[in-house]
Amino acid sequence: MISPSNRFLQFVIVAGILTVGLNACNKDRQVCLTPKTASMYIESMHLPKDTSTVEIDTALPSAVFTAITLGGDKSFQYTTPSASFTLSLSPVADSCVWLLTPDSTGTSATDTLTFYYSREVKFISNACGFTTFFQLDSAHTTRNNITGITINNTSVTNNANVAKHIKLHIKPNF
Amino acid sequence: MSLISGSAFGQATAVDTAKADTTVKPKIEASHQIELGFDMGCLAKNYLVTDRVGYEFLASWYHKNEIYWVAEGGWGNSTVAYPDLSYKTNSSFLRLGFDKMLLGRENLKDWGGMQMGLRLGAAHVSRADAQYTIVDSTWGTTSGAVSGKSFVPVWAEITAGVRVELIRGIITGWNIRGKFMLNGKSFNDLSPTYIAGFGQGDKNSSFDFNFYLLYALRWNRKQ
Repeated sequence: MISPSNRFLQFVIVAGILTVGLNACNKDRQVCLTPKTASMYIESMHLPKDTSTVEIDTALPSAVFTAITLGGDKSFQYTTPSASFTLSLSPVADSCVWLLTPDSTGTSATDTLTFYYSREVKFISNACGFTTFFQLDSAHTTRNNITGITINNTSVTNNANVAKHIKLHIKPNF
Repeated sequence: MSLISGSAFGQATAVDTAKADTTVKPKIEASHQIELGFDMGCLAKNYLVTDRVGYEFLASWYHKNEIYWVAEGGWGNSTVAYPDLSYKTNSSFLRLGFDKMLLGRENLKDWGGMQMGLRLGAAHVSRADAQYTIVDSTWGTTSGAVSGKSFVPVWAEITAGVRVELIRGIITGWNIRGKFMLNGKSFNDLSPTYIAGFGQGDKNSSFDFNFYLLYALRWNRKQ
């Protein structure tokens, strides 16, 4: 049988361990583990032949995307060939413009991509704060290297496991 | 010869022990008790965590069958002052439930031991206007405000702990709690960082620890 004094000692020890342990977990602000930026996923593709009905991925050799912002142009270069790209939409306006140069090492022409959308401010968590989600309305492009643009998924959020939002149809002879 | 005698003696002892085990231990039923106390763990948390303050009190009533009916209440507030998010909250709460002692008491003066229990909790939370900033390194920074709001979170708890009577009528005890929000989606637009009695408001479950000091009033105690 445990004597009252031993029982009280055990009690104090467990209480002390629990107090220290639980309060060690109590940080003032938790670490944000959720993506904070809503990303728009784009894939480039083309018809291999004029008679083809199924498009295949088109790897752009060294694509450069340039955002036209109020603070000036900001470029992002893909240094390896890629058919999948990630862009952001502007949370300060209901439309935004990106310039696309498919091959920055050559003399390929630049196309202008324009996106129109609605915005929704969304609370993620106290650790991450707020972000902006988007609902795509329309997308437009010039036709130097691109034959067309298709919206495949209108909902642009911080969820990375979603279908590509935009399909860029590249000219077959690019 | 001595081995045979020893064996026979051992059998006789075993039979006696078996008879003793079948004796039903009389149930000791203590009389009524009311306890009033507060959570000393809150004082430690208030000291260690800088962005929130909380206080918790409890009252329990022992009627019979080693079950303590429990009412817990308190209040708290928090201040969120991050670079990209700021607001204040005030909340008060009430939890009702019971604790069941896991082992029978050794005698009428035994008011300690291990216990488990269940609670149903509810709080009234008032959040003031919140200011937020969304930083986007490409497009620029946006700021805005979210209007203040009041809401009533409801949750369930399972508790387990130990209590010890230090001196007659003065009891201390700790328990750990698993808390599970029942209506967490009702305030997803901006979950409060702290709900008194529950903990972190933007999670649907939380774990907590209480370290009580209680004063017990007893009457009609059987001698």
